[in-house]
Amino acid sequence: MTISQLSHVAMEMGVILLSNGAETYRVEESMHRICLALGAQEAEIFCVPTTIIISITMDDTAPLTQTRRIHTRITDLTKVDEINHLSRKICYEAIPYDDLISEIGRINAAPSYPYVLQVLAFAFISQMFTLFFGGNLQDSCIGFVIGIATKLLMDLMGRLETNSFFINMIGGAIAALVAVTASGLGLTTQMNTIIIGSIMTLVPGLVITNAIRDIIAGDYLSGLTKGVEALLIAAAIAAGVAVPLSLLRPFWGG
Amino acid sequence: MTYFLPCLYAFIASFAFAVVFNIKKNKLLFSALGGFVGQLTFALFQLIISNDVVLYLFATIAISLYAEIMARLTSSPTTIYLAVALIPLVPGGGMYYTMLDFINGEIDLAISTGVHTLLISGALAMGIILVSSSVTLTRKVMLKRRHLKEKRESA
Repeated sequence: MTISQLSHVAMEMGVILLSNGAETYRVEESMHRICLALGAQEAEIFCVPTTIIISITMDDTAPLTQTRRIHTRITDLTKVDEINHLSRKICYEAIPYDDLISEIGRINAAPSYPYVLQVLAFAFISQMFTLFFGGNLQDSCIGFVIGIATKLLMDLMGRLETNSFFINMIGGAIAALVAVTASGLGLTTQMNTIIIGSIMTLVPGLVITNAIRDIIAGDYLSGLTKGVEALLIAAAIAAGVAVPLSLLRPFWGG
Repeated sequence: MTYFLPCLYAFIASFAFAVVFNIKKNKLLFSALGGFVGQLTFALFQLIISNDVVLYLFATIAISLYAEIMARLTSSPTTIYLAVALIPLVPGGGMYYTMLDFINGEIDLAISTGVHTLLISGALAMGIILVSSSVTLTRKVMLKRRHLKEKRESA
């Protein structure tokens, strides 16, 4: 395998890991392992949530450095799992370059769950958390509706490439808007429970987990970045919820 | 039943979150079970401990242990199990009431609720750090012991 092929394989796998929700230390570790297993003499990898820099040294050739900027980050843990699996497999057995590329392509192109199922998942999260925080069945049905509305609107905003801060703000605003309206119409007495249950769909659980795990691993830069991201998302949700609450409550009470 | 129902809700919610995170079908159930484990621990310790920050710490330790064990058994990243199980423990309620107190103009109450929420978040972080670090430590000690043994046998 030539140095440019090696760098290509490692970079592609790193990009898939980083853009689908893996911890930073996992990306660095996996890429390092891959490079050494594929025959690099030395490999230095630097990775932050938005950039990967890789520098490889191999026998008889000049060192090669490559940089990649990550623009969009989504959450698809199956891809993380499968790439992780593949990187371990590379260490145990020799896989030809073409097979590796086609395998990476297959993993990257794997479809996620159907859209209807994702919307339903949001609805169920919202409904279950409303029950979880002490709502009754009727409250949970309002939560169900909010879940669907939040998901649909957030995806629409995502397609228009709005930043995640504003998307979460809108998500919180919808939850509060529907809950305050329902409370105003006399459909429920537990407005607070419904709002809390519905904003749980927006809570950045993966970001928090990864922030903590990155800090444990010694990646303070990435850990702090993600920690701040989680804090900002939480602040955005709170700000989004505050707007309908303060605007509508004087009219409807509650 | 009042203790069991929240566990069931947490389980279904975690399951739905696993779908949102696009976890593969055969790992879906096990990652969702983490949410159940966390809530069960919370409910059980509730009978003897009244401080809820400590309760959150114990629940996080339980789900972290569960996640580390499952990750070793299925040779997958720990995040798959941990992130899904952690979500029911995230203090969304505390966040909301902090904000509510602020817009109601009750700053003192808002600060005390906010600090409480921060403490809970700290407990979550501490739980993950405790388990993750001890697992790494145990593994290192075991590897070293095995290494020493091999050395002695070859000598």
